[in-house]
Formats: sequence, structure tokens, C-alpha cells
Amino acid sequence: AEAAAPDYESAELYTRSFRVGALGLSWRRLLGPPDLSLAAAAEEEEVDAAVAAALGCAPGTAAELRAVCSIDMLMSSEKEEDSDVIPEDSSLLTLRIRKKALDRREEKIIVDRACRQETLTYEMESHATGKRPDNPTDLIEEGELLLTLNIFYPVIFQKHKDHKPYQTVLVLGSQKLTELRDSISCVSDLQIGGEFSCQPDQAPEHISKDLYKSAFFYFEGIFYNDKRYPECRDLSRIIIEWSESHDRGYENLQSVKMEDYVFNDLSLKIGFPYLYCHQGNCEHIIIITDIRLIHHDDCLDRNLYPLLVKKHWLCTRKCFVCKMYTARWVTNRDSLAPEDPCFFCDVCFRMLHYDAEGNKLGEFLAYPYVDPGIFN
Amino acid sequence: MSGVPGLKEDFEELLGAFQQADTVRFERFAELWRERRFHTIFYGRIRALERNKLTKKTLDLAQQYFFPPYSFQIRVGALYLLYGLYNAQLCQPKQKIRIALKDWPEIQKFQLDLLDSQHYDAAYIFRRLRLARAFHFTAMPKLLTYRTKKKIEENYFKEEFKDPSNRVNSLITNDVLEELMNIHDHYQKMKCVISADKSQPDKALSLIKDDFVVSLKDITLEHQEWQQNRMELLRNSKVTNETEDKKKEEIFLQSEGSERANALARIKYKSYSAVVEVSKSRRHRQVQLESSESGSGCGKSPSRSKKASRRPQPARRGSSEVRGEMQVARETVTQHIGMPVIIEEDSDE
Repeated sequence: AEAAAPDYESAELYTRSFRVGALGLSWRRLLGPPDLSLAAAAEEEEVDAAVAAALGCAPGTAAELRAVCSIDMLMSSEKEEDSDVIPEDSSLLTLRIRKKALDRREEKIIVDRACRQETLTYEMESHATGKRPDNPTDLIEEGELLLTLNIFYPVIFQKHKDHKPYQTVLVLGSQKLTELRDSISCVSDLQIGGEFSCQPDQAPEHISKDLYKSAFFYFEGIFYNDKRYPECRDLSRIIIEWSESHDRGYENLQSVKMEDYVFNDLSLKIGFPYLYCHQGNCEHIIIITDIRLIHHDDCLDRNLYPLLVKKHWLCTRKCFVCKMYTARWVTNRDSLAPEDPCFFCDVCFRMLHYDAEGNKLGEFLAYPYVDPGIFN
Repeated sequence: MSGVPGLKEDFEELLGAFQQADTVRFERFAELWRERRFHTIFYGRIRALERNKLTKKTLDLAQQYFFPPYSFQIRVGALYLLYGLYNAQLCQPKQKIRIALKDWPEIQKFQLDLLDSQHYDAAYIFRRLRLARAFHFTAMPKLLTYRTKKKIEENYFKEEFKDPSNRVNSLITNDVLEELMNIHDHYQKMKCVISADKSQPDKALSLIKDDFVVSLKDITLEHQEWQQNRMELLRNSKVTNETEDKKKEEIFLQSEGSERANALARIKYKSYSAVVEVSKSRRHRQVQLESSESGSGCGKSPSRSKKASRRPQPARRGSSEVRGEMQVARETVTQHIGMPVIIEEDSDE
């Protein structure tokens, strides 16, 4: 049956729930091969006969159209224009305002160039544009769907109260949920449990990512649990039990295996917050902001997806002593430290807390520290 | 997303001029575009990141004029506008025009209308855009990020709907004044009872202004009158345009649609409907507000397209036109006698 086109459930905010794959089907049915083509070069200009046939006009008219409707009619006929220069007496309000703003900047700013955050943001946004794989089997198919997801950070800093930082990831409709799960880099995965003040050299056996492998996505009443490894537990079970224990107003919540589903299978609302939970209690809000057909200017190498196109720059905490290196240790109840907790890089930590023989000096508790900015 | 400053004005000026030119021919649009050197709209020393954002917003705004409830002529103009903007942009690779699945049937219908009416230039240009793969075929027109930001539409409504709540009137209501009066009388009576002269209170007991309730009433009344006058002022400047042009609203209102679409259409329509005095050089062709034919896609040949006899103009001049009428309105406000009927906030029109 023909599915209805997605539309708002809450005006301008989020849509009704719909099956992702159905969107792809609907579009592919309405469009023709030229629309869906991912060929690099655009079609050559049509011959007049083809135009005449398509529009139902005379070939002479087609020739006329080609001349009259040429884009040259709208472009500058003058010699090379410098697009950096706004014409002095522009009739366009946009330009007059822009010129004023630019002039103001020139007066006030000494050096006007991209800061490193801007460079990073732009690079991330555009680095994969138009990339094609060497291996043709890795080329994305025509008619593939591209989803844009905002995955929010779980880090709770006071300064992030009003604008929670997020990453933006592009994912293909034909990709499995597990591929997205594996691509999400969260600092809590790297945590190393344990107190190591007595044995600082003992490299911890496992990071949390290896120890606690369970995770789930929650979309539209279904929990998609990662069950690829024997250690994986169903983290959603307790939630489902809770909702079933009384009439709490939730419809039948289900639990299924994450690895069995691709994004095309899901029913989703665009613009509606969902959940990704891992490490037992590390929760990320996920919002699907856009779904559309793949385009020849997108990155067409399947291996690069899920593709990270935006992330939040987090300032890393520096060592209290040298103020240069990122902190790798944190101490509590440290008799040698001026603050509690106190952060140190590896070198300063050892120099302060241990003597030349490696004996522990003073009283303290030491934990390996992974800074959230580690993914910068 | 905040808009690009000045962009809406420039678009509406160009589209308004196109509408006034009374044609759907691309040639005419191209003339107007070249006159304004519209291809420079992306100029200025802008770095790549900012330029991408700016171009996306520009295309997004232009795209909105391509759909109902705008009139056929405006929609054709929007198509030409998109064609120009898409090709004039400086981004590499080019930013695309987003089309949502729910809007595609509308576009199909539009295309058929174009072909039926033999507006080949418009159909050709749409075809060119499509072959150039200038579109992103999406689920929804905009990215939805669950941001509950104030939307641009709100600005439109601010014009139409009345001003926010009248705090004074909601505090000093009829009931409040009546009760104050009662208490005041009772107080006076009490004072009399304990005074030597039973007919009036002792001088020593005179601690408040006797007429304070009446003064309060007068001040509130004054405020209310001022408020009403202000509303009349605003309303009249709209009403004169509205009553004359009500029949022409058809031109903008294509669909039976929702109330909101109608309100939006009315507001957007208004920016093209104020009357201006023609310049001296064209006195022989005074502007007349005639009723034009409505409807989409009508007119078998380009030469018979609608007569648009209104010109867009800056708001300032429009209001000066109607000032004479506003004077009259002010004088006819009735004077209240005695206890005023202070209308509660909700019952105002």
C-alpha cells in the first residue's frame, strides 16, 4: 500500500512516525533515472529535439528556449568580477547590510582569518564530499537513503545546560544499527576502573569498552539491544519490566536484537529525541534531523559511513603542574596536591608522587583519567 | 535558524516587480534580475564555512515562495529566482534545493499547469534544474533539530494580532474599582460614626485623599482610551487596504487550506497591495485598484496574463496616505460617562 508522505505531527518540530525504507521507495517511484543517477559529470546539454519532445513544443521553440533561458542571461556580462568586492551602490539591501558589517569588522578586527575551530568544523563538514571509492563494490547504490543524526554528548558540564553539545553523523539506510553503535566514540568507553596509586605502572587490562559490551538504541517503542557477544546483556529488560508492572501509559515496549536491523527497517520520527544507552548508564540522546536520497555530490564510499561530519570541541583539562599536557591521572585525598581532585599528566604525576626507586610518597588515591576532549 | 538580514526584502522586491510586470516570461524576469545585479547577492569576503551556511539559508528562503499559498505568478518567479540563485552561488560543490516528498505532487501539478498553458520557458527552466541535479529529495523541507526557537512566522503574526496583554486593565478591573468604592464609602461612614459631627468625619481622621478611587478610575480610563486609540490607528491603516483589496485576496489564496495559511497569505499579500502615487512622468497612468482575475495557471498564452495594478512600496508612505482617515477615527471614540465599562483583556476583539 502507498505510504503517506512524512509530515509534521508537531508543527515545525517533529514528524509522524514512518518507515524509513518506505520513504526511499516512494521517492524512487516518483523519479526517473536522471534524477537518481550518481554519475560524476552532469548530463550534457540536451539536443533541441529531445527538449521539444519532452515539453511538447516545436523544435524551433526548443532552440529559442535554449537561447532565451540560458543562465548567461542572469550572469554578469562584464569582465571578471571579484566576488569578494561588494559593489558600492548596490540596490540590494542584503549587500548594503553585509557591507556595513564587513566594514565594521575591518575597523575592529586586527587579523581576520579562520580560527582552528572554524577550520576543523569546515574540514569535517566537507572532507568527504564527492569521494568515490577505489573499489567499485564499495560504491553506494543509486536510490540509497542518507540519514543525518545528531548524537548528544552525555557529559554534564554546567556550561552545557542550555545548549547540549552534539556530534553529527551521516548513516546509510542500508547500514546496520550495530555499525552506528560501533562508530559512536564516547569517553565513557575508555574509562579504566580501579585505583592505581600503588601500582602506577601496571597497564590496566581492559578499558570499559571491552568489559561492558551491552548497549541499546530506543526508537519508537522498540529497544534494539546489542547481542553480538556473549557478555552482552539486555539493558532494556528492566525498563520493560518497569513499564509493564503498572499501567504507565506506554504501549507494548519490545526488545529485539540490534544486529538484525538496518535503518531502512526502522519506523522513526524526524526531529524527535530517541536514546542510545551503553556502559549500563551512559545515555546519549539521538535525534534524526534529516533523511534524503543520496546525491552524486555526497561521499559515495560506503566504507566511510557512518560518517562523522560535526563534533563539539571540548577543551581538554591540562596537568596542574606543567599546564601543557593533557591530564592522564586524577588524585583524591592527595597530601601532595593543592586541590581535590587534582589532575596530572603522566610525567608530572610520577615525578611528584614517586621517588627515584618508584616508592610511593605521601598519601593519595590515584585513578587513570580520560579527558572528554580526547577525541578532538 | 536566524535569517539572512535584508534577504527577504530583496526577494520580495524582485518578486513584487515581476508580479507588477504582469507576465510570466523568463525574459522579463531576467531583465529585472540584471537591473538589480542580483547575481551579486552572494558577494562579499566570506569564508567557506560561512558561505555554505549563507547559501543554504538563501536557497531555503527562496524555495518557500515556490509553493502555495503564493499565486501562480509569484511561484513562477520563485522558480526563476531559484534558477538564478542556484547558478550564481559561489559554493563548490553547489548547495542544493531541498524538496520534501509531501510537496512533490504540488510540483508535478505546477509543471503540468505550465505545459498546459504553454509557458515553455518556465517548464524548460525547471527541466534544466532537474537535469543539473540541483535538488535534494528529502523527507521534510527543513532539518528538524527539536529546537524550540522562535520562528520567523511569529513576526508576521505580530502585525496582525493585537499587542500583548494590557496589564493595567487586567489589574484595575470593573470589579476592583467597584469594590474599592464600596470600601471607601464604608470607611467614610465609619469615620462619620465615630466623629463628633455625624454628617462628616473629623479633620483629624482625614488621612487619605477622599477622591482617590475616582482619580484611579480616571487614570485607568485615560489609559484605556489611549490604548484603544492606538489600536484604532493600527487597525485603520490596515483596514483601508484590506477592505479595498479583499476580493483580490483570491489571487494569493490558492488552497482552502488552514486558517494559518490564510493569515500568512494575507500578510504576505499585503506587502504588495499598498497604493502609491505614480511619479510625475507617469501621471497619465494613475494607479487604479481594479479587480484582477484570480486563479492558477489560467491564460492560454503569455500575452493574456493577469493585470496586476498594484505596486509594492515601502510601508512608510502607505501610512501617511491613511493618516487623514485616522484622525476621523479618533474623534469618534465615545466618551464614557460615570463608571466606565473597562473591557477585560479577553473580550477585546
